[in-house]
Amino acid sequence: MARPPRSALESPATVAAASDTPVLELRGITKRFPGVLANDHVDLDLRRGEVHALLGENGAGKSTLMNILYGLYRPDEGEILLNGKPAEFTSPHGAIAAGIGMVHQHFMLIPVMTVAENIVLASEPRRNGVLLDTAAAERRVRELAEQFSFHIDPHARVQDITVGQQQRVEILKALYRRADILILDEPTAVLTPQEAVELFEILRRLVADGMSVIFISHKLNEVLDIADRITVLRRGRKIDTIPREGATEAGLARMMVGREVLFRVDKQATTPGGRLLQVDDLHVRDERGLETVRGVSFDVRAGEIVAIAGVDGNGQTQLIDAITGLQKPDSGHVVVAGEDLTGGSAHSFLEHGVGHIPEDRHRRGLVLEFTLAENLVLHDYAKEPYATRGFLHPKRIVEAARGLLKEFDVRGGTPETRASALSGGNQQKVVVAREVARDPKVLIAAQPTRGLDVGAIEFVHRRLVEERNEGRAVLLVSLELDEVLSLADRILVIYEGQIVGQYDPSVSEEELGIAMTGGAREAVA
Amino acid sequence: MNTFAASMDRFRFGPRQVARLGIVLGILAFFFALPPIEARAYVVPLLVGLLGAACGIWAVTRGVGRIAWGAVTVGVLGIVLGVLATRSSGTHLHIVVSWGALVASTLVWATPLTFAAIGGMFSERSGVVNIGLEGMMLSGAFFGVLGADKFNSWAMGILVAAVAGGCFALLHAFFAIQLRADQIVGGTAINFLALGVTGYFFIQVYGDVGSPGNLPRIPNVNIPGLKHVTFLGDAFGQLNLMVWLSFVLLIVAHVVMFKTPIGLRIRAVGEHPRAAETVGISVYLIRYASVTLSGVLAALGGAYLAVGFVGSFNENMTAGRGFIALAALIFGNWRPFGAFAAALLFGASTALSFRLATYSDSAAVLFQALPYVLTLIAVAGVIGRSVPPASVGRPYSKQ
Amino acid sequence: MSSTEPEQPQGGEPGGYAPSVAERLAFYQRAGGIITPIITAVIAFFMGGLVVLATGHNPFKTYRAIFDGTGLNWFFHFGHHHITLPFTHTRVFFWWDTNANANASYNLSQTLLLTTTLILTGLAVAFAFRCGLFNIGGQGQYITGAIVAVWVGSSWAGMAKGLHVFLAILLACLAGAAIAAVAGFLKAAVGAHEVITTIMLNWIAYWVGSYALGRGGPLQNKVDISVPVSSDVVKSGKLPTFWGNPELQALHVGFFIALGALVVFWLMLNRTTLGYQVRAVGFNPEAARYGGINVARNYVYAMAISGVFAGLGGAMDILGWQYRLGVLDIQVSNIGFIGIAVALLGRNTAVGVGLAALLFGALVNGTSTRGLDPSVFPPTLAGNLTLMIQALVLLFVGADVLVLAIWSSRKKIGLGRRAASPPSPEGAAT
Repeated sequence: MARPPRSALESPATVAAASDTPVLELRGITKRFPGVLANDHVDLDLRRGEVHALLGENGAGKSTLMNILYGLYRPDEGEILLNGKPAEFTSPHGAIAAGIGMVHQHFMLIPVMTVAENIVLASEPRRNGVLLDTAAAERRVRELAEQFSFHIDPHARVQDITVGQQQRVEILKALYRRADILILDEPTAVLTPQEAVELFEILRRLVADGMSVIFISHKLNEVLDIADRITVLRRGRKIDTIPREGATEAGLARMMVGREVLFRVDKQATTPGGRLLQVDDLHVRDERGLETVRGVSFDVRAGEIVAIAGVDGNGQTQLIDAITGLQKPDSGHVVVAGEDLTGGSAHSFLEHGVGHIPEDRHRRGLVLEFTLAENLVLHDYAKEPYATRGFLHPKRIVEAARGLLKEFDVRGGTPETRASALSGGNQQKVVVAREVARDPKVLIAAQPTRGLDVGAIEFVHRRLVEERNEGRAVLLVSLELDEVLSLADRILVIYEGQIVGQYDPSVSEEELGIAMTGGAREAVA
Repeated sequence: MNTFAASMDRFRFGPRQVARLGIVLGILAFFFALPPIEARAYVVPLLVGLLGAACGIWAVTRGVGRIAWGAVTVGVLGIVLGVLATRSSGTHLHIVVSWGALVASTLVWATPLTFAAIGGMFSERSGVVNIGLEGMMLSGAFFGVLGADKFNSWAMGILVAAVAGGCFALLHAFFAIQLRADQIVGGTAINFLALGVTGYFFIQVYGDVGSPGNLPRIPNVNIPGLKHVTFLGDAFGQLNLMVWLSFVLLIVAHVVMFKTPIGLRIRAVGEHPRAAETVGISVYLIRYASVTLSGVLAALGGAYLAVGFVGSFNENMTAGRGFIALAALIFGNWRPFGAFAAALLFGASTALSFRLATYSDSAAVLFQALPYVLTLIAVAGVIGRSVPPASVGRPYSKQ
Repeated sequence: MSSTEPEQPQGGEPGGYAPSVAERLAFYQRAGGIITPIITAVIAFFMGGLVVLATGHNPFKTYRAIFDGTGLNWFFHFGHHHITLPFTHTRVFFWWDTNANANASYNLSQTLLLTTTLILTGLAVAFAFRCGLFNIGGQGQYITGAIVAVWVGSSWAGMAKGLHVFLAILLACLAGAAIAAVAGFLKAAVGAHEVITTIMLNWIAYWVGSYALGRGGPLQNKVDISVPVSSDVVKSGKLPTFWGNPELQALHVGFFIALGALVVFWLMLNRTTLGYQVRAVGFNPEAARYGGINVARNYVYAMAISGVFAGLGGAMDILGWQYRLGVLDIQVSNIGFIGIAVALLGRNTAVGVGLAALLFGALVNGTSTRGLDPSVFPPTLAGNLTLMIQALVLLFVGADVLVLAIWSSRKKIGLGRRAASPPSPEGAAT
């Protein structure tokens, strides 16, 4: 099948000569952000006509690496070789010209414009020299789509088509620009399983046609399904590159997660009491209107920690929002201590004894410009003893804060310090202190240790166990396997908006890792 | 109602067409009561207007939004105005309603608004809020007069105005784009700055005597054959060059914005600058160019006002027209023809308010609040919502 | 500007017109502490001076004359004087000469008259700002308050004095609150951007006022119907004055009311649960929502309270010294707009607004025909110079990046000897 010639490099002679040269090679790429080493001397080579998977947990440095390749970031060290020749991209423009196309995790599409307009943007067909040739644009998009058996209407507005179709528009954007290297950043994160299957078919066709693909993912089953070779990144470092043949989910999970087990929290067995949180057949949509929680049911009893484990973006955020009143579910029920609070406001959930350590302490957990004392009364500022008939009692607020800061060992600030001045660990302690001090019946902790140092992690873990021992129902939502295994009394695995399995904390990391990446779905279903 | 709907179905009218018909009927209700037809029986406007409103209501029940409500509104207005007209004395009516002169006067008032609103469209479509239109217009008015006077040529006046407006816009662009300052604060500052600079130099250059009386004016375009045609002669026979230019601008702006690659890129930058950047478009360049163009166009509107229409400058002579232009832009949903239609509507309300003084001084004044009330209703979304470009007002930072 | 955070899609909020001021509020409140406002003002005056110089005048003499026109030089002339305590007959020793006929003291009283109103229109912008809303509508709210004040003050004659003044002020405040709350409501209900709605409401107030006071309008005076001016406020509707001759615009108790408003502003923000909510919403609406605060309701409240301040400003001018309102007053007034510069320069804090109001009050009065010595610099030019300085203040106050860059590079360009101190993390006192 004849694709239009992409570049001079593709003439038969060069293809033959270049057959053993990788189309793309990254050597010793290093990128530092303030306080973070995002990429640490990463090497990667991409052969013509292969799907090369880049596997790693969130924050392993995959996206940073690809943004460097696409000219969005500049590397601090290292070089990029394109067909054996050094290349340097200072802007996406250069990368596009060199035949690199990228499908971003968050699509770079303009919702109010048509498919064709989005695709031809910045290299538009013209007529009479100045006018935009819409007909030609739509014709070429249609041709391109037919060539690869995409079903897409060039005239439709992007906001009116499905997410799966939007992704195809992104791929068409790259094809239209004659890309021969395609980078896909977490392409299945937003797709339904059926759409993912279709995407893989498309990728296979493209590869058969000479395209080289870098496929970024943290889902093991997908990687084993589509990739020819797999490179695993962990904490900014390349662990290894292995061919798919012989790779196992267990082996990959081990490489991805690493062997660094922090510590185990001392934890006595307790007997769970009554059901304090019941979630029944909950359905929730995200802001795009996509149903991301699809019929979740579970309960949490007094005196137990239930962990919801899962890879990011499998509906955890919407699940938490729905059981804390921050978002109204489509259907289903949320019952707290026997009271049905479904659809209630955040305020009513707070009043009924739900504590919530949110996943993003900067966006939600704290008002960074407020003092610590002010942050500590974020839920109760209007109540005695902090306020009487609408007037605050700053002294009482500060005094209460002083006690809490001491009890929770918050360092680096007095009650009058602004929250923004604290380190991440101490900020999180403030959030934990506030939520715990309200004496909640149910404590929901969403990724409570994200971005914290070891000491702070230990503190948060110990505290969560103490709260469980006090008889609270603790729901832990986490992406960290270590954390889940060391804290939970019961583990639920969420995958694509559904609970796909329940495990005992004695389960192996490998087994859990496979379930989290979709391997266990068939087994449960 | 049912038989009416049935008859409409037989004519294969969609609800949308019916709503449009309703608007026409509403206008006709008023029109029949005015010269030259001048129906004196109040039932005429009443019946025609009711029919128009009924069309609107029917279309509303069929799920048509904005224009259907528009038909209801126009229908009711047609009844009210039509009945009032039948009650009014004939001489008064003839003073207020001489159609040709009214159209000409509407165009005079609409032209500065058209220039500024289309200018504003370029800026806001590229993602930069421009509430400094008023100031840019004012600078065009003063520097137009200064240029026309010093070079003794109206063409140079226009050129100097355009450069001055462009400079003010460039200043706004620098603060909004480069320094990522708040665009609303910046726009407010531009308005004050233009007020101060034009006032200062006006007095510095012309002192107490004001701008010269023999200022070279932008000429009117006389269309010889048209002069003695009844309505067309009065309406279009003697229009200023800038009025005709505004028509040209309207078409060019529409083509550029919606039919050329440049327009596609401007809109892309205003909707989703990051997406534009990832396909290799320079967000800064597009924004700088668009904002500067907006200043040039707004200044042309001001130049028309001073050098074309009035023939002199006085302090703060734009008196809020930049804000009406902003309102027209919003009311017209950030589209050239929409903005032009709104400018015509607002121009007509100004033109009418001068004539309505025949009836009542105070009512004529109150009439001038109309553009703002309509715009408020438009942004509130009561009759269809004006939706701005998604990224307007958001400073963009490269990586 | 690098970030390890994943890219956020840049889709606008529905009906959004500009980013919420909240996104930049934190920066406004903190960056550079008190340094940025001072530098901003210095730059603005410096550039204004350049214009004066470029047009063939002496900037030093001009600024000196303007300073004399402000009446602030009054403070430099102290000696043995006596003062009658306001509203009593007790005379006590005082350092300064309060004889209102003397030039400096008269000028000062006029400066303070302007300061009074500017404090209030500044607070109108500042309070909304603290809730993350940009209230451009101070002018319209001020006019609305003024119209209602002149209506109540000039009618209802024969009412008890205290009650009449009180009612006039109260209704003016409520009117200002009502028109401002329209914008807050539209923001809360349909997300209409407050900048657009308040601009429109400004002009609606402008034309409604021109109608009401214009010829044939309902509030026009009945004595001379050729003049588009209201009737005079009756005696029972006037605020007591305490410095100067009421015939020549004396300083009235509204000055203390405005100072009181500063205290109320501070108390409300920092000592009430409402203020807590408003500040939480202003800094971080998402955290406020998480904390159980009703964000939409706070938008309406914050705008209404802003409107109270601006409406109060209108009432003070009418009941304190204008005593009547004409169409021309409405058309030339821009005191509500100056309020934007006052609030932003004052960092939206009580103390800051007070000081910035004094600065602008002095500037406006110092460059007025009344205040400025015409032999040094023509007041007609000076009035425009004021506008330019105001504009420059706004321009630079919105671009802290630039101001801070100038400040931190002053060592390089030899403007200062000490090393540049890092921007203070502590904000100016609220």
